[in-house]
Amino acid sequence: MEDRPNGALTPNETLDVKGAACPIPVVKTAKTMKTLSTGDVLEIFATDPGVEPDMKAWTKQTGNELLSIDRDGDVFRVLVRKS
Amino acid sequence: MSDNGQEAVLYVMTHGLESPERCATPFFLAASAAAMDVDAGIYFTMNGPQLLKQGNPEKIGPKGEQGQKLRYFIDQAVDCGVKLYICQPSLDLNDLKYEDLIEGVEMIGGAAFNDMAMEASAVISF
Repeated sequence: MEDRPNGALTPNETLDVKGAACPIPVVKTAKTMKTLSTGDVLEIFATDPGVEPDMKAWTKQTGNELLSIDRDGDVFRVLVRKS
Repeated sequence: MSDNGQEAVLYVMTHGLESPERCATPFFLAASAAAMDVDAGIYFTMNGPQLLKQGNPEKIGPKGEQGQKLRYFIDQAVDCGVKLYICQPSLDLNDLKYEDLIEGVEMIGGAAFNDMAMEASAVISF
């Protein structure tokens, strides 16, 4: 799985928090991750401009893995794997 | 580190009804901390207890009539696991009784507050 581009990863769950501001993306990501199993991948769509530093801080603190952050216009697509 | 071995952040809220624009920030920062698996608590002192009086969270919001009321931010924080603390002298100062407060507020004293502050990784005062 590691040598494939992240675009080829099939997320186990998708969270759409477009339009929501801090702290909603982090709060909902944390809640959704609790429902997943170790190794599962969560895909997050967000427009909060602070989502990149927030997701870096959140994964650093919680020990989950930040796989990628891509931006398309105003929309960030974040992939995190549950550790 | 807190009692359960997790990292902790303690927020101190000293503002009340006189400055609605300041009311929500401690709640959403604490909610973010809780979402990071950090023990997060908010201690209300000086004017802070006014925010927790029954009825007030529905009346004020950080942007007045625009946007969410304080109740939304309190519920979000508590739902994430944020603890709310108060002490008796702060209630007396505001002519409040414990029974006047919204549900879920824990009564502590100065010694417990100082202990929490020393155990926390960070104390942030507003």
